[in-house]
Amino acid sequence: MADKKRFLDRDYTRRQFLKLSGKSLAGVAISASMLNAMGVTADAVAEDKVRVWAFPQGLLVVNPDRCVGCQRCEINCTLTNDGCCSSYISRVKVTRNLTYSRNGQGLYTEDTWTYFPDTCRQCETPACGEACPMQAIYADENGVRRVDTEKCVGCGACTQACPWHMPTVNPVTHKSSKCIMCGACAEGCPSGALSIVPWDRIVSASQAI
Amino acid sequence: MSVINGINGWAGTILRVNLTTGSITKEDTLPKYRPYIGGMGIGYKVIWDEVPLDTDPLSEAAKAVFAVGPLTASGVPCSGRMTISFLSCWSKGYSILDAHMGGHIAHAFKYAGYDAMIVEGKSDHPVYIRIEDDKVSIEDATDLWGKGTFEVNRTLAEKNGPEFDVASIGPAGENLVHMSNIVTSFGNSGGAGIGALLGSKMVKGIAVRGTGAVKIARPMEVRLLSNYMIKDLVGGNNNHTVPCHAQSWSEYVATNNRWQGAPGITWDKAPHGPIDSGEQPSGVINVAAYRCNKGVFDFGEVAEKYTVKQGGCSSCPVRCYTEYEMDPLAEYDLPTHVSNTCMPIIKMLDWYPDHVDENGEKVKSTHDFVDAGDAKMILGGAGSRAADEYGVWCNYGNLYEDFKMAYTTGVLKDVIDRLNPGEWDEIPWDLMETGDPRWLWEVYRRIAMKEGIFSDFGLGTYELYEKWGLDDPEKNIAGVSFYDFVNANNFNIGHNGYPRHHGPENCWQAGTLYSMMYNRDCMIHHMINVVSSGAPYNEIVKPVMEHWFGEGCVDPQQHYTPINENKIKVAKWAFNGKQWHDSATLCNWMYPMTIATSKKRDYIGDLDLDAKYMSAVVGEDYTREDLEFDSERISQLLRVMTAISFKLNLGSTNLRKDHDNVSDWVFDKQPDFKPFEEGTVKLDREDWEKSLDLWYDAMGWDRETGIPTRATLEKFDLADAADKLEELGLI
Repeated sequence: MADKKRFLDRDYTRRQFLKLSGKSLAGVAISASMLNAMGVTADAVAEDKVRVWAFPQGLLVVNPDRCVGCQRCEINCTLTNDGCCSSYISRVKVTRNLTYSRNGQGLYTEDTWTYFPDTCRQCETPACGEACPMQAIYADENGVRRVDTEKCVGCGACTQACPWHMPTVNPVTHKSSKCIMCGACAEGCPSGALSIVPWDRIVSASQAI
Repeated sequence: MSVINGINGWAGTILRVNLTTGSITKEDTLPKYRPYIGGMGIGYKVIWDEVPLDTDPLSEAAKAVFAVGPLTASGVPCSGRMTISFLSCWSKGYSILDAHMGGHIAHAFKYAGYDAMIVEGKSDHPVYIRIEDDKVSIEDATDLWGKGTFEVNRTLAEKNGPEFDVASIGPAGENLVHMSNIVTSFGNSGGAGIGALLGSKMVKGIAVRGTGAVKIARPMEVRLLSNYMIKDLVGGNNNHTVPCHAQSWSEYVATNNRWQGAPGITWDKAPHGPIDSGEQPSGVINVAAYRCNKGVFDFGEVAEKYTVKQGGCSSCPVRCYTEYEMDPLAEYDLPTHVSNTCMPIIKMLDWYPDHVDENGEKVKSTHDFVDAGDAKMILGGAGSRAADEYGVWCNYGNLYEDFKMAYTTGVLKDVIDRLNPGEWDEIPWDLMETGDPRWLWEVYRRIAMKEGIFSDFGLGTYELYEKWGLDDPEKNIAGVSFYDFVNANNFNIGHNGYPRHHGPENCWQAGTLYSMMYNRDCMIHHMINVVSSGAPYNEIVKPVMEHWFGEGCVDPQQHYTPINENKIKVAKWAFNGKQWHDSATLCNWMYPMTIATSKKRDYIGDLDLDAKYMSAVVGEDYTREDLEFDSERISQLLRVMTAISFKLNLGSTNLRKDHDNVSDWVFDKQPDFKPFEEGTVKLDREDWEKSLDLWYDAMGWDRETGIPTRATLEKFDLADAADKLEELGLI
């Protein structure tokens, strides 16, 4: 625990955050200044409701309590990456959680307004990449896993292999639409449910007393 | 499969579902419907071409057109609405009107590859229409008939899968109650009697999933324009552009408006602890959703206690549906899970008028639940959920107003005792008198199930007044016309059965003009958004509006001036603009962007933004004038269809006299004031007649009859409409 606390409070490096990326923060003691920077509560962290991902631009924080279901994340994802507007091929996915999710939550249930964006976990050992028969998913110089559209044959093995079914084969181009961490979803999120906290702010927060 | 038809903006396909034959066919949207834009425009054109205007609105020959437009699901903010056009079963003249719903189903429908769906014929058993991209089917819904919309929507979503969106009618629609709606998402609904029309066809609902995309000509331009809009132009709901609680960055503070978010205003019931709204400066996208906080606007700060989040529609950064868990309702075994906005939730106290106790004393019927002043909210939550469960539509509040006026004048008891002796004593008035939220479930159940004379409220104002003699002082014990008499609860704008919707009380002659133009409440927000924005009148509202429309086009609240040409320009801008928004589809609660949040723009909005979006989405250059021209074509068609309906169904040949006649109370209220004095918005009869003259001139309509001239119609390629008017002796 002492090590974990020190991990987030000082001696910060992006590499250390990469180790936490996509994993549970529950049990990790996080300083008030860091909670503030991430826009989350200690309760949400303790109950494992907050996920963070290390992006080149900063730390992506997903906070379901702030999600208002507007789907602008999906809109901005597809406008930016596909040149069209769509939900199905979006790399961030909120619609499937919005109406009646696989967990039995969403607007058509009596659940307490639980809906939120799913994002690519950028797994250390990516099931999508492992499953791809064409070895079309590769890591670029920033460690971001991308789809080589020359190699991709649109077979959908990545979709099936991903535990969260995040990559989607575009039915028109027949290419996988895996997340490339461009950040358009968070940039356009009007509620901060998706936010990218810049690294310099993380550094400041980690050094605050 | 994905559907991209190679067309930018439009999906390219219209679906036709015939419930009599079971046939499902597709036709091209373009080029036929391009002059009509989409949404409302497509709907009106289909009804004009295919449904004679003397058709029984609830017969097999009637049709409903569900439609979206070229901007729906294009990425443009606030483009999540669907318009449903059909013939009215309840308002005077039984003419063309439309229902509109937000939520998320418009996006699903567009992604499935459709601009519109024409529903025609009549099924012989309950069905729902299932759309999964190009796979469309009519499915059995026998097991859903009789059930409430929440259960039906949940069942349809669960049955069809996580990415399906759904909408359904309630028992009110099944029982052909005129005041009925279709409900989607949570509390989003389209009204105007669409429930009864679908009920007559035995359509319980629709379920839609779309895996396709909307093709965009210049996608990055759409993204950048959207960012610019959210940063510099958009405020709270109704585009109120000045926060009403002080924020450090804001030059002004509004007295009260729909920008309620501020530091200290919280979503108290967020699952992991309260979320503070914080400051929401102009120029920042990621805080836009905290601006509105509609719950606090609707009910005061007591709403924070039960607020979980703020919901709303696809693509919209302004969240006007506060989502609550209202715990006190659990004590009454009622659902605590509620969400709605405006009329369906804020006026439930009207169902609880003061009553007379056993000592003959007038007694208040409501009480606090947990905190001082929370009755409006708790009862609002209960009533909105009950109305949606049964699928009852409120006619923009006239349903409540009719009840309250009938109860408080004694007419209600007199009518019930005369028409159905014994019913009065069977009604559990004790629930009303004790402020019990179960009273709301009782009244909506009675209306939806057509139980007793009480349920006549579900006929809608026009037929209710006729049946109960409320339209004639000599036919009811109150000795008044409910359309005309001065009463705090009188919402009627005219004699057609629907109320004003931000009419003379907010927008003087302009608001009255466009409140009169439809066959339901107008739902035009162009002007209320400006005058209630919170921006100071002399510093912002007047200069910005005069920048667009010229000197004297706008007045201060409660101190208006006689009609002039520039006010007519404003009215025409709003009237045609509403058609544009319901065709595009864009939310008229937000658009147009008349005033901005941004000081660096001198708070001047961007009325060309809609055209910029159209250009970027479709890939052809549109100007504001182009859009206004196409929108006016729809306005003209609305007027022609109204004239023909009034002729065929009522024998009327004069819309000025028979459609556009404003209620007397609008002129007669506040007897201590004269029109144009500070402190009143009562209209002046002579000024109103002049307003109509100028309005008809501006619209190209005959001054005497208010009916479009042939020259006007030919200008909009509507010669066939002129021919029909001529054939009927209307021009």
